[in-house]
Amino acid sequence: MSTTAALPMDRFATSTGRVVIAAIVFVVCLIMLKLVTTTGMQDLLGYTQKTQARVPTFLVRMVFLLAAIAAAFFFVTGLSYYKRNKVAVAPWLFLSVGLVLFMIYVIVPIFQSISYSFTRWDGLYDFNGVWTGEWVGFHNYKVLFQDPNFYTSLWNNLLWLVLFMLAVPIGLFIALFLNQTVTGIRIYKSLFFFPFVISQVVVGLIFTWAYNPEFGLLSEVWSWFFCETKTNIVGNLTRVCSPEPPSILGDSTYATYGIIAAGLWPQIAYCMILYLTGLNNISSDQIEAGRLDGAKGWKMLRHVILPQLKPATFIAIVVTVIGALRSFDMIATMTQGGPFGSTNVLAYYMYDQAVGEGVGRYGYGSAIATILFLIMLVYISYFLWRMYQDEVEAR
Amino acid sequence: MFPSPIEKASFFGRFAYKLSLPIALFIWLLPLLAIFMTSIRPASDIATGNVFGIPSSFQLLQNYGEVFAKTDAMRYLFNTLLIAIPTTIISVALACMTGYALAIYKFKWALPMFFLFVAGNFVPFQILMLPVVDMSNRLEIINTVPGLVMFHAAFQTGFCTLFMRNFMKALPFELVESARLEGVDEFKIFWHLVLPLVKPAIAALCVLIFTFIWNDFFWATVLLRDDSTLPITVGVRTLNGEFVQQWHLVSAASLLAAIPPVIMFFAMQKHFIAGLTLGATKG
Repeated sequence: MSTTAALPMDRFATSTGRVVIAAIVFVVCLIMLKLVTTTGMQDLLGYTQKTQARVPTFLVRMVFLLAAIAAAFFFVTGLSYYKRNKVAVAPWLFLSVGLVLFMIYVIVPIFQSISYSFTRWDGLYDFNGVWTGEWVGFHNYKVLFQDPNFYTSLWNNLLWLVLFMLAVPIGLFIALFLNQTVTGIRIYKSLFFFPFVISQVVVGLIFTWAYNPEFGLLSEVWSWFFCETKTNIVGNLTRVCSPEPPSILGDSTYATYGIIAAGLWPQIAYCMILYLTGLNNISSDQIEAGRLDGAKGWKMLRHVILPQLKPATFIAIVVTVIGALRSFDMIATMTQGGPFGSTNVLAYYMYDQAVGEGVGRYGYGSAIATILFLIMLVYISYFLWRMYQDEVEAR
Repeated sequence: MFPSPIEKASFFGRFAYKLSLPIALFIWLLPLLAIFMTSIRPASDIATGNVFGIPSSFQLLQNYGEVFAKTDAMRYLFNTLLIAIPTTIISVALACMTGYALAIYKFKWALPMFFLFVAGNFVPFQILMLPVVDMSNRLEIINTVPGLVMFHAAFQTGFCTLFMRNFMKALPFELVESARLEGVDEFKIFWHLVLPLVKPAIAALCVLIFTFIWNDFFWATVLLRDDSTLPITVGVRTLNGEFVQQWHLVSAASLLAAIPPVIMFFAMQKHFIAGLTLGATKG
């Protein structure tokens, strides 16, 4: 800085020293990245097994990668070009790391999956690292469209979509019920929201237990109506029920409904919190105006409140649709697709076919995933279109 | 305020409302209460059919102690932290930068890039599964915690960017403009001006992402096989297989898995809800 006074420098000039050092660091890091290998780390750190050396290898690579990124930043910001075009170049610098990571792990895999769906492959490479699959064109899709399990999964996905939508009106109802200012209402609101915070695996376990026909919650409620306790010949108390309590998860007609009901529990909580926030932001002027016009109860809700809750409803529907199509955890914990594949949805069936026990049908699994993706794409496009409308309006 | 405030209702109405609140809550949380009661009763109670009555003896400490003693629950919990904390830090940090780029700069690609992040955030996991597994295999990071963290961080960057960009868009743009006129470097504007202003958004995102990752099950089953790397959600499912018919232990383990996100929620409630209801309130 002190030199600037004595020697009037162009403030857009390339800072040579900085650029040179950054370039050297960058090249060194790239060379080191190439040099760090699992076997090398194994020798260096004395691990007997290759698997043990994987994590240290990864971490060392990450350090060099980060150093390389930092060096690249210093290199670019030292250049005269950057200094002249700051506002045009800077956003790409800010975007770069996040965008590259997101591309590698999310965007590119979508297209890879679609390309896998035209192959027959078990996920393996041969000894020389050459891909062992073969191209089969639309074969996977032809098989898929004749697979009864696929249609069961598709039908169940539809059931999930339709029945999951119940979360929206029920959530609204609970939100209306709780939208008061009694003492302690805040605690009630958070306790009602509680199920959403819990992992779906845990919700699945809770409901598996609740549905248990021998000692679950449901059988207890059942026994209030249909059971009586008798003393049997040996003198012990036994419970005699007619009809017997249903085994919901063991019966292929009810199992899917049972899982959906369990899934609704946290989803209702989510919709409720969306509506509670929405109700909080409704303008009281309009409600007062509505009251003066004699609107109340259902009419008020229909004509004054719901139009103002539109953004909340939109988000509630979006998250519910996505939740319904993503249903996997619950099925994995509660039934694993059974009994007899009756609770499969596309998400679970794909997992089962691709990496389930004994099968490694990467191509077939990818075909199922592609179908699921196409269904989701309808909603994603709709969501993006709505967002685009908002953006255009905001301008 | 809608519905009409209950204070204006008759005495009877108010009484009925206040009475109905705890009853509704009881029914709503009944599954949870029941499983909690199961987790503190001895195994003999379940065998004799005393599932809902008063436990014959309170075994809170014994049952939970047994879960820790008999299983790897402690390591599962620790693994979950090892996965959730780095993921949260990386994805929120990256999203601060991407969000800044997309919200503050007006360039042609800003909106398409933003939509790319949003769309990627909503895709079904299954379409990413096999390529991600294949790539992790070839990078030799499958079956390791860092490998899972990399994926989670990348995927969550999508949601975080959506959130951050919208939050930063609402900031007064004149601040940035005047800083630029004074010749402040773009990175300094980001660090000294914008980041302090978005602290609430950072807090909300941290709470939310931590909970999401804590509750993740799918990616942990896909990318981790080794027992020593599993997080609690997968661990609890494994325990379920080990403790066949030992429901008092299964329920104790399940509740253990649920406790940290619940504490997180109650401690940071305001931020949590702000994160979830994003966009639900504005026009």
